[in-house]
Amino acid sequence: MGFQDLKRLLQLVLIALIIGAGLLPAQDLDRTIEFQFGGRAIVVPRFGPRFEVLPVLELMGAEAGYSPAAGTFIVVWGERSIQFAIDHKMVLIDGTLQEARDAPAASPGGVAVSLTFLDRSLLSPMDHHLEPIPGGYRIVPGARFADPVTVRPAAADFGATTTLLLSLSRPAEVLVEETPAGAVVVRFEDASPQLDSTVPFRSRRVHSLTSRNQTIELALASGVGLLSWHVVEDPPRVIVELGIASPTPTPAPVQVVRRTGPRPIVIDPGHGGDDVGARSADGLMEKDLVLGIAHRLKRVLEARGHPVRLTREDDVHRALTDRTALANRLEARVFISLHANASTVASVSGAETYYMSLDQSSTDAEAAATADLENRAGAASGERSPLDLILWDLAQAEVLNESADLALALQGRLNALLGLRDRGVKQAPFVVLTGATMPAALVEVGFLSNPSQASLLAQPTRQQELAEAIADGVEDFVRR
Amino acid sequence: MSWRVALIALAVVAAVALLAWLLHGGGPQPVQQVLPSEELPTPTPAPEQRIVLLFPGGDGLLHPELRTVPFPKEPHARIRVVMRELLAGPAATPRLAPVIPYEAELNAVFVDSDGNAFIDLTAPPDSLQGSSTELLLAYGVVDSILLNCPTISAVQILFGGHEVGTLTGHLDLSKPLVLNKRFIAAS
Repeated sequence: MGFQDLKRLLQLVLIALIIGAGLLPAQDLDRTIEFQFGGRAIVVPRFGPRFEVLPVLELMGAEAGYSPAAGTFIVVWGERSIQFAIDHKMVLIDGTLQEARDAPAASPGGVAVSLTFLDRSLLSPMDHHLEPIPGGYRIVPGARFADPVTVRPAAADFGATTTLLLSLSRPAEVLVEETPAGAVVVRFEDASPQLDSTVPFRSRRVHSLTSRNQTIELALASGVGLLSWHVVEDPPRVIVELGIASPTPTPAPVQVVRRTGPRPIVIDPGHGGDDVGARSADGLMEKDLVLGIAHRLKRVLEARGHPVRLTREDDVHRALTDRTALANRLEARVFISLHANASTVASVSGAETYYMSLDQSSTDAEAAATADLENRAGAASGERSPLDLILWDLAQAEVLNESADLALALQGRLNALLGLRDRGVKQAPFVVLTGATMPAALVEVGFLSNPSQASLLAQPTRQQELAEAIADGVEDFVRR
Repeated sequence: MSWRVALIALAVVAAVALLAWLLHGGGPQPVQQVLPSEELPTPTPAPEQRIVLLFPGGDGLLHPELRTVPFPKEPHARIRVVMRELLAGPAATPRLAPVIPYEAELNAVFVDSDGNAFIDLTAPPDSLQGSSTELLLAYGVVDSILLNCPTISAVQILFGGHEVGTLTGHLDLSKPLVLNKRFIAAS
């Protein structure tokens, strides 16, 4: 290689290096973001809309890292624990699932998140939020959500009480509570309230309202406290009743249905309206079948002198909790939910009756039947810690033994019907049984997915037999 | 420009560029699926272990199928193995049916500090119906996980990334479910 060639090569390398070096500062500015917290600052790599988040959380003094045992990243901030996973929008905040707007992504440093994810899903539970500064963000105290809700207050003072009406610009999750110090606070779960001050507000018992972060605090006259509150959805409003303070706030009022006469038997035809339930190959729908049986059962029981109420008289939708609530308000003697079943296996057939499960234990027979399963599975043998007793807030717990008797009585009569296979009495945490304050059971009268059973269930004579068998079971129970 | 000047300029610029490159961490790095370096999986494969999986049978109850698979210690990884095997369907007994009666994938697994596992499955089609379908799906998954993962105390199934109240209008799926052996056939 001659001197001229070497010189030309060096010139080319020089030009390339100058261009390359010139590009580096521009990339740096584009690929980092600065966060400040309590007088300290950190610059972290940025990848498009996301950035390395673990150094930011460590800047705040939070413990943050990946847990192989949980399969998630875990952030611990004081008593608060937040779990999130790469490529998943669900965030577990102190055991409660929340859905984020976007998902974290894997990054060279572990995990990268968006500003929205950091602000809403991580900082807000840690009672902090982001404020923009040149080249980055400052993390400052106080939770903040991006979506404000305008709140227009109005009050009506009556003789002993005041009704406070808070009209919301959009629906919001709201909780009204009296603090131990006696203050009344309206908490917004998913919004920052902004008070509409264009409308004058006056009340003898509410001196002022102050919005702060996700709450509105009510400054009340001496001796005034929270009596009750409830939310109206359309248009969205929060209605708060205030009056002479009581030691414990009363629960939200419910619609009162007065019972007159003896306690009725409440029959619940399952599904209804758009919820058709199971459907046979011939088009027989569960909602229609069980409504027909329910009307027959009502007639049979009334003819025998029992007052009966149906949770639905025709083809309408009823929320599951409304069905139980009606039985509670009527102080029903017995609550029976009627259903027809379906299975992905067409050969499955028979009738079965359920009552509520507290899920804390199994019977000795069931334990014996399945105990060797755990032994045969080497993993579980000898390692299982006692199952935690999970007790839901169940009114059914009070009457569980009676519900078991009711289910046995009903299933016993169903078993006597010709051609109906006994699938037994079982327990499961069914929504419609949860919270029922009286003996309650759910009857599955047969499988619509089984063609021969479906054609039998379609026959009026069979429906009448089923109604009479269930009525017999109810009488067996109430006369026991 | 003389060649000496060019060489000096070259040396200076090269040194500056090299320093900047090193400080920069070796140049642009694409976002990629990586674990934090301290948590890299160990090269030792998980020991093989027999696990029990539950699948619906023709009697409308859950039946066990035993399978020997490499089974890690970590609860999260164990749940993934159990779910992978469940989603693969019954292998040994042709009369058993898949526990998830539609094309489903495991989207995510969470385990909280109380031993509650949250697993996210593909959302089901609208055609699912019947309490039996709902019960066997739920307890086929829940019991299979709990029988094989002793540190897990309860399992909540999410569908399509969402909590659901019920699947077909019966079973309360809004809370984690504990072991329920009532739907497992007596052996």
